[in-house]
Amino acid sequence: MKWIPFVLKHLRQNWIRTASTAAGIAVCIFLFCTLQTFVAALHGSLGQGAARLITRNNVSRFYNLPNAYEERIAAVPRVTRVAAANYFGGMRDVNNPDSEFANFAIEAENFLAMYPEYILTESERKAFLGDQHGCIVGRALAEQFHWKAGDAVQLTSNIYRTGKPFEFVISAIYQTDQTRYPGTNESTLFLHYKYLDEMTGRRAGVRTYRVEIADPQEAGVVSHAIDDLFENSDAQTHTETEAQYRANAGVLGGNLVLLLNGIGLVVMSTLLLVTANTMSMAVRERRTEIGVLKTLGFSGRLVLGLILAEGVLLGVSGAAVGLLLGGFLVDILPVVPVIGDVVRRFPKMNVPPAIAGAGIFIGMSLGLAAGLFPSVSAYRARVTELLRQT
Amino acid sequence: MPELNVGADQAAVKLEDVCKTYQRDSQSIPVLEHVGLSIPQGQFIALMGPSGSGKTTLLNLIAGIDRPTSGSVLVQGTNVTTLSEAALAKWRSRSVGFIFQFYNLIPVLTAVGNVELPLMLTSLSRKQRRERALIALRTVGIADRAEHYPRQLSGGQEQRVAIARAIVTDPQILVADEPTGDLDAKSADEVLDLMQALNHQFGKTIVMVTHDPRAASRAHSQKHLEKGVLLGA
Repeated sequence: MKWIPFVLKHLRQNWIRTASTAAGIAVCIFLFCTLQTFVAALHGSLGQGAARLITRNNVSRFYNLPNAYEERIAAVPRVTRVAAANYFGGMRDVNNPDSEFANFAIEAENFLAMYPEYILTESERKAFLGDQHGCIVGRALAEQFHWKAGDAVQLTSNIYRTGKPFEFVISAIYQTDQTRYPGTNESTLFLHYKYLDEMTGRRAGVRTYRVEIADPQEAGVVSHAIDDLFENSDAQTHTETEAQYRANAGVLGGNLVLLLNGIGLVVMSTLLLVTANTMSMAVRERRTEIGVLKTLGFSGRLVLGLILAEGVLLGVSGAAVGLLLGGFLVDILPVVPVIGDVVRRFPKMNVPPAIAGAGIFIGMSLGLAAGLFPSVSAYRARVTELLRQT
Repeated sequence: MPELNVGADQAAVKLEDVCKTYQRDSQSIPVLEHVGLSIPQGQFIALMGPSGSGKTTLLNLIAGIDRPTSGSVLVQGTNVTTLSEAALAKWRSRSVGFIFQFYNLIPVLTAVGNVELPLMLTSLSRKQRRERALIALRTVGIADRAEHYPRQLSGGQEQRVAIARAIVTDPQILVADEPTGDLDAKSADEVLDLMQALNHQFGKTIVMVTHDPRAASRAHSQKHLEKGVLLGA
């Protein structure tokens, strides 16, 4: 502990260099935390519903499937429930694309049975199921639009154009259990598929069938069984787990996780080289001083430890700043124009403690790795060589 | 650590048949050849000689910051040539004080912080370290500048702080490499007065490398080196 003031004084000696190096590490950790939080949110949303499959049109998710498929899918062995679910594309103001939010038309009874993460009391559930114009909304969405149960809501769909708005009554505000089902979206509105189908003259079609299976281990077998069923039909199906479906939908068809991790890795490698160079410069400038310390009786190990401690302190302080920045950005992202529209589709994001810990660890490791070469060089150098620089 | 009790009549420094050769690429460059030297306790000696004669190398061997190629170096009864690097570092921290030509104070530390530095290697508390450092600064007459940084001190003052740093652990031997080489005449005289006082009042054995005959005249005796050979030995 007695050496900490000594190390800090050296870090303060050239504060511009120290601050810029720490800022570099901060940017690195900021990127890491932000990207990894995004990835974690993605994984969180993917991790849900292991026992659920989604069947869609094999051509594209934007093509419909016939309503008649529902009974045939339900008859596939190991399938326990099926519910149609269409993205509704409802907007509060048809002239304002920003007013769109997540809303789905669902076959409510089966859907709610398959999705225990959307929590309703029995009376709320009954109220919703008993009213074809009823809808349920998430807590966050209700807070955003100041909605409460019993309010009338008008939405215009940008997918199902009927010439007049759809009218709903909010049956209930659904709750979530973020401990049991982390990442459950609290910003969605669910309406009755039957209402949509009637309003469109029975031409709504089905974009997806949500399929509950008895055993998540049999997801592959059941998926193949469903797709085989419609192999020779006009509308072939593509069945995948809900996790895969979300990954493909949210990840825009590419391996975003790999891309994000790749970006993080490149940034960290670059920062490591820059920091290592800066540390080497700092130590090179102090060769005589290191020689003096050794002359006074400082052992090579102590000198090595002091230089490494400088690197670690630099790394940890940079990481702490980066973490704060990352946490701040993750908090404000949902209200940032354009980006916020994308982010709001994901469950609420927070920098998880594991990622925060990893950020600090990476910052520390960066500092340690950057300080390793100059400190080993100082450790090995002979006193007379160091003093000869004078 | 093999250490002997050193009596007043025993040599503080004893070099026997010391040779030092530097290796530069494939070339061997002899710097010291068969040097034998005995410095009694409490002596103040000046090592003189032209540049490249091996004065600093000899001083470094006595201070234990370099090792001879052959021969033995006994300081206060300890054969420093047989010590490991770690043991040698520990020995240096307790047994020898080093004064550099360019003071070599740590710029981020105050005068008292610089003087405290060797005491950081001891088990003394922060308060005890501070007290001893201030005593050392008082001894060299610069306690009023204790909280000043090296950049706020003159050359003479910096060298006084460096001397305080050299004596703070109360080593029996002080080695000084051109301690007045970077000072004006007045400051040089003050530093030499101080070194003489340390020698007279505290009985420190001092080995000083210098080019300056005036500085050398302050010593009890002068030794001359010429091309790595100690003259008159």
